Amino acid sequence: MSILATKETHVVIQGGVAGVNAARRMGEFRHMIQQPLNVSAFVYPPDAGKTNEVICGNRLLTIPVYKTVAEATANHPEINTSLVYVGADRAYAGAKEALDDSGIQVVSMITEGLPEKDSKLLGAYARKLGKVFNGPSSIGVMSAGECRLGVIGGAFDNLVACKLYRPGSFGVITKSGGLSNEIIWICSQFADGITTAIGIGGDAYPGTDYVTYLEMFENDPQTKAVVIVGEMGGDLEERAAEWYGAKKRRVKLLSVVSGFCQESLPKGMKFGHAGAKEGLQGEGSARAKAEALKKAGALVPETFGALGPAIKETYEELVKSGEVKPIPELSEAEQPKLPRTVEQGMKDGDILVAPLIKSTISDDRGDEPLYEGYPASELINKGYDIPHIIGLLWDKRLVSKQEAEIIRRIIILSADHGPCVSGALTTIIGACAGIGLSQAVAAGLIMIGPRFGGAVTDAGRYFSYAIDNNMSVDEFLAHMKKNVGPVPGIGHRVKSLRNPDKRVKELVGYVKSLDLATPHLDFALEVEKITAAKKDNLILNVDGTMAAVLVDLGFPVDSLNGFFVLSRTIGLIGHWADQKRQGSRLIRLFNYLVNYAAPARREVPPLQ
Amino acid sequence: MAKVLEGPGMGLLRKWGLQTPNYAVVGSSEELEQLAQANEWLNTSSLVVKAHEALGSRFKLGLVKVGLDLNGAKAAAQEMLGRTVGTLTIREVIVSEAVDHGEEYYVAVKSTRDGADVMVANCGGVEVESNWDRVKRCSVVVGDAPTDAALEALAKEAGFTGDLIAKVADFARKLFLCFDNEDAQYLEINPVVRNAAGELVALDAVTLLDGDAKFRHPDWTFPFAAEFGRAYTENEEEVMAVDSKVKGSVKLIEIPGGDTAMLPAGGGASVYYSDAVVARGGKLANYAEYSGDPPDWAVEVLTDKVCSLPGIKNIIVGGAIANFTDVKKTFGGIINAFRKAKAEGKLDGVRIWVRRGGPNEKQGLAAMNALKEEGFQIEVFDRRTPLTDIVDMALAKK
Repeated sequence: MSILATKETHVVIQGGVAGVNAARRMGEFRHMIQQPLNVSAFVYPPDAGKTNEVICGNRLLTIPVYKTVAEATANHPEINTSLVYVGADRAYAGAKEALDDSGIQVVSMITEGLPEKDSKLLGAYARKLGKVFNGPSSIGVMSAGECRLGVIGGAFDNLVACKLYRPGSFGVITKSGGLSNEIIWICSQFADGITTAIGIGGDAYPGTDYVTYLEMFENDPQTKAVVIVGEMGGDLEERAAEWYGAKKRRVKLLSVVSGFCQESLPKGMKFGHAGAKEGLQGEGSARAKAEALKKAGALVPETFGALGPAIKETYEELVKSGEVKPIPELSEAEQPKLPRTVEQGMKDGDILVAPLIKSTISDDRGDEPLYEGYPASELINKGYDIPHIIGLLWDKRLVSKQEAEIIRRIIILSADHGPCVSGALTTIIGACAGIGLSQAVAAGLIMIGPRFGGAVTDAGRYFSYAIDNNMSVDEFLAHMKKNVGPVPGIGHRVKSLRNPDKRVKELVGYVKSLDLATPHLDFALEVEKITAAKKDNLILNVDGTMAAVLVDLGFPVDSLNGFFVLSRTIGLIGHWADQKRQGSRLIRLFNYLVNYAAPARREVPPLQ
Repeated sequence: MAKVLEGPGMGLLRKWGLQTPNYAVVGSSEELEQLAQANEWLNTSSLVVKAHEALGSRFKLGLVKVGLDLNGAKAAAQEMLGRTVGTLTIREVIVSEAVDHGEEYYVAVKSTRDGADVMVANCGGVEVESNWDRVKRCSVVVGDAPTDAALEALAKEAGFTGDLIAKVADFARKLFLCFDNEDAQYLEINPVVRNAAGELVALDAVTLLDGDAKFRHPDWTFPFAAEFGRAYTENEEEVMAVDSKVKGSVKLIEIPGGDTAMLPAGGGASVYYSDAVVARGGKLANYAEYSGDPPDWAVEVLTDKVCSLPGIKNIIVGGAIANFTDVKKTFGGIINAFRKAKAEGKLDGVRIWVRRGGPNEKQGLAAMNALKEEGFQIEVFDRRTPLTDIVDMALAKK
């Protein structure tokens, strides 16, 4: 048996992220005691209609979120308890809403910083309705082996270490959340553990007090003794003492009170909890409280450290008198365990997962990306540049300074070619239609193909083919004519021998000035001599030049179009931003730019 | 609980229809001169000048001057402004009108568990403190207001007669309204006096508001004052600023002259740690606390301040077994600040004592333990060592 939170408790959690975290902790507890999750619903207006995911055991449950408590209880009539996890400014309304619901008997609030008046009003309202309002600032309620409300008890390994998978004989009531956990641990080490532990919160006027729960513990036969962790301020400890001393009680009472240091500290000093403030003339002081509890017959150790041995002593008396039968301990193997995640299993080396994809160029699992194993920051600090990153990610090698310079020039030369070419025009039309950067730039990139910018790979492929097969220029042109058609990389729409492409001249001039073997470029220039002699505009174009140079540098043929795609993306982004900056309006073709060659208007024949 | 200085306190009383003497809060004697050109009472009344700061024993410090004319008030203001008392510089004075009066009375409203007590006495000033049995009280359940009949009965019970019964009842009714609507925790008017016109006037007030209710009082534009008779130190204010920004909490109060520095986790455990130090005959250098899984940087700021306390010999990094405060993360913040403090020489000869449990306790404690290799004098204990044993060890060691 236990009190307040039991096997029959079904919960609605009012709140957002913090509430979901609490539900997950509660899910861990339910897994430990092998029971289904007892959180039926959430109430959080911003997320109404959605669901929250809560892990329980090895299953991921979806728990509905409602706008109001009434909706939650209408859909889940088993709900009898609410946990309030909303901010201090909305907590009063939230708790009131829960108390007003006829199905809900217990409302526990974790919210800190609730105005005192709100807390008093909620406490009084709950008492009037015969319900329980626990908190505010309550860490929650833990009933070993039965129910966990909130995050009390901490992480899963702590739950197991404190043997919370089965009830013991000690009840616990504390103001402090951290100390509730400490006492739970002490009870599990010096005695047989707890029945129920309750955090009432450290506020000056909590909704319920020690006496509320002492009464309940007194009526719970499983609970043989109760530990109270008090602190200076208020009169809750004195009231507990009064209750205990009023008549012979079944439960034994143990208590410690903090705040003796107050006697030697500056007056008016504020402690961690709102309720921990000094009273007038010794009223509410730690000493007065400890004296009152002692006088009422409670066991009050001098220090917190002496509490463990005192609990042990009490437990041993209970065993001796036959009131408590020692519980056999579970062996390590018998103790509950959380299902392991795939990650943990792999780390432990006993799970094999077939990977879905394989990457050989980069790794982002550390604190920064590694390109081909090199940390990005180290590359920067050692003076590497964008061409080197292209080399690493496209060809898995660190290119030389010379190669990097050639790549840099290629990027500069092909970054843009004005607004009229297919790619830029498409991006501009997109920008004027109001579409976003990535879509408009992608539309421009889609234009890259056999007739615009996309001949680099093909040109590289065929020049390579010629060199690999030791072809003469004549043999190559014959082969192309028979099997392929026009030579990719040769020919230009507007440029010709008499009106040469300055970009090609620049690139060829630079590469030839270097001490570099350039068989593909040399071959391409020989091809140009023959083709240009036949027709003026059959010159080596920028695609063909880039292709020959890059193949000479050893870049794989399939990566070559990438150089144009990468370079031109710079220009396309510029065009999109340019139109955006100007606030350009939607454009459409003028009719006079279209040759309307469709049939003239005519009558539609009847449908047959 | 948040203490409010006299100026804003008087403002709240006036808002709820209570009479107070005329008053003005000024930061310079020139300001007072300007105000005198618009306010007749400053020229004609006998004036009182007080330092408008959170200070105890202002009388003894010469920070209250009475029976002044305007020139005297200007001189008094000039003399007080800019004076330093301990760490505090006086930046404002309150100038108020002395009220000729005969008898003094006492009216207060105090928060109780069930609601509030309205308290009335037909004596005031220091007299009430030595005649506490003459204070009569009437309890009001939260959500209710006292009836006129109940307040009149209370006034009668306290010994008021004649027209004073209705006047005191009305005064108490308004004070209760102020208390209830302003989320006050304690309002004490001592003394309440009768002016020449026979009206009751609140001469001096203690105003404690519920700081947690600030969100619903947009007109609380005044700062809250420290409650222990001194101003907050720069370090305390810095930690408060961090506290107001983060989830969870970090708190610091400095106690000059101590040599045991406290850096425990948890509002509850921190007090047990302080108790243990005092019980062992140690001298606390501060009170501190962090809880509610605050971000590591907030704990780092707190640690930085704790390490900077002068003359410390031990630092107690204690804590119970946390529910959800991540030990590894929060210790990460503490360790960062420790390293910085050590590099600055602040930890020379300082011993550090650690005891903690909670989420990721193994990693957190291991990281603390590893500081030994960096030359820290640090002892690290886990949940198997009882909560405050580290204090015993710290203070037992020579």
